Amino acid sequence: MAIPDSDIIVLSSKPLNRSENIYLPEIFKGFGTTLRHMFTSWGQGKTSRSMQYPEERREHFKPEDGGQEPSNFRGFHRLNKDEQGRVKCVACMMCPTICPANCIHIEAAESPWPDREKYPAKFEIDELRCIFCGMCEEACPVDAIELTTEYDIVGKSRQEMVFDKNKLLQMYDLTIGKKPM
Amino acid sequence: MTISAQTFASVLVFALVVHVVLLTCAYLIYVERKMAAYIQDRIGPNRVGFDFGLPILGFLKGCLGLGQSLADGLKFLLKEDYAPDRADKRLFTLAPVAIIIPALIGFAIIPWGGTATIPSFSILGLVHVTGGEVVLAGLNANIGIVYLLSVASLGVYGVTIAGYASNNKYSFIGGMRATAQMVSYEIPLGLSLLAILLVYGTLMPEEIIAHQRQHGWMVFAQPIAAVLFFIAILAEANRAPFDVAEAEQELVGGYHTEYSSMRFALFFLAEYAHMITSSAMFALLFLGGWEPLPFVSVFGGGAVHLGGGVAEVLLAVAVVGLKLAVLFGKAVTLVAFMMLIRWTIPRLRYDQIMMGAWQSVIPLALTVVVVTAAMVQWGRTDTLSLILANGAVFALMMVVMPLMPKYDPNRKIPLYGSRFNPMPGERVVTGPTVALAREDHPVRGSL
Repeated sequence: MAIPDSDIIVLSSKPLNRSENIYLPEIFKGFGTTLRHMFTSWGQGKTSRSMQYPEERREHFKPEDGGQEPSNFRGFHRLNKDEQGRVKCVACMMCPTICPANCIHIEAAESPWPDREKYPAKFEIDELRCIFCGMCEEACPVDAIELTTEYDIVGKSRQEMVFDKNKLLQMYDLTIGKKPM
Repeated sequence: MTISAQTFASVLVFALVVHVVLLTCAYLIYVERKMAAYIQDRIGPNRVGFDFGLPILGFLKGCLGLGQSLADGLKFLLKEDYAPDRADKRLFTLAPVAIIIPALIGFAIIPWGGTATIPSFSILGLVHVTGGEVVLAGLNANIGIVYLLSVASLGVYGVTIAGYASNNKYSFIGGMRATAQMVSYEIPLGLSLLAILLVYGTLMPEEIIAHQRQHGWMVFAQPIAAVLFFIAILAEANRAPFDVAEAEQELVGGYHTEYSSMRFALFFLAEYAHMITSSAMFALLFLGGWEPLPFVSVFGGGAVHLGGGVAEVLLAVAVVGLKLAVLFGKAVTLVAFMMLIRWTIPRLRYDQIMMGAWQSVIPLALTVVVVTAAMVQWGRTDTLSLILANGAVFALMMVVMPLMPKYDPNRKIPLYGSRFNPMPGERVVTGPTVALAREDHPVRGSL
């Protein structure tokens, strides 16, 4: 399929002047720019934008300096607990329905408590499949599932990265201080 | 057994310089990464120290990342040495050898330490060295510069063979590009060299340095030739902005796509050794060799006497070492300049490189050669006359340039016969050719 000439938009730059035409003056101007950056960022100088990761973390910086904004950061999940320490989830199946990555697996059972009908007997999130879109958090009617500010949890196997109910409740205990409900 | 003083000096210098150059190559990679990082407002390698994970060596942790080169080398040694199934195994193995040997023998004629006189002595009573005047270089040849030129251009074989033997179209295109580019830039390299060799009237490196000691550095007398020579050595070393042979965005890794492990490391090492050789050659030809200052002679012309008492020998060795340091320092500075160029100027398009060689660099180099030949014939080869001659060439260039035919840099160059630009009346089938697939996905437009 040939592209007809009428479909081609020709953009032309303005012609080079005499000194630009021999390139060298412009090239030396470019060296000036490069060297300025080199010497101002020398040894983490003022233009250096790097962060020394394990020692410096995003949490240490203000959001406007490239730091973490905890109120809307989307990290690993947690399952919230109510005042009596019970899991808040009512196993309504909203989150596995909305999940675009199909990474939430819930098995519901009859609730042992009188204030609700169902509770999750099993609650598993495959964190390796998760795309951290935050849809589950949006969908949850009782604010049970929430995304925390943790982002550097690793595991030695794939199975280890499938978080079960216990681990998700542990995540609540770990992060409730950093990010209140 | 009796050997001549020159043989003794050659072996000594070569044994020393090969190691110095290889170590410098390893650290130039570190310097390049660090420099690139700072230019791009990053930090660069700064973690690998020399503590090797041992708590007792904890004070060597970090060290500005200076252990990175060691770690890189170790990693290359331990990697799997992989060759593609359908590659030409013999050529595939030959290519890294063919590229590393010219890179390592190239600097044999560079006179790192100037001349020296060595008295007769014997080593453990077995080997008798007859004294005499020696050049402290790997090779003391009359054809010095021609040797350097020929060995430097041998490097293209490695690139071409690597591209051909890999049985990979990206490698092949990379090899082809490198060949065409090197053949094209060999001409301005030779011509700009001719322009200065006419002034020198000799090919011996030591006499070239002696000439510059008397008349000032050649970079002042022949600035145009210096610029053209520098451009040509960049293109010969396959360095940015002329690195289309390994253009990552187009050709994966270029001619060394299929190489891994130590064979890949040899390509890497050869590139940096080539840069050092080219830069040392530039320093020798244009920047006065081992003389540190342009119009002043610091070390004097005579040979250093490596004999007499211990103090005298130590003094002589210090002088030789200083000369080596000055020449090596100049070369490394030029390599740093090449790195600056790499991280400043974007890569040229392939047709721009070719047009640059044949339509601007070669005509200019030819003009400089003709003008220099006229000056030599006229007998005016002092620096001032040559500067005036170069100014005249520059003025001529500025007058002629607007009269040259203009090209639109973005003009459409149709490849007639391709499926995007069919020949008049040709029916071009696009899209899937399997009938079933065509039914599923009907192709819009003319079938």
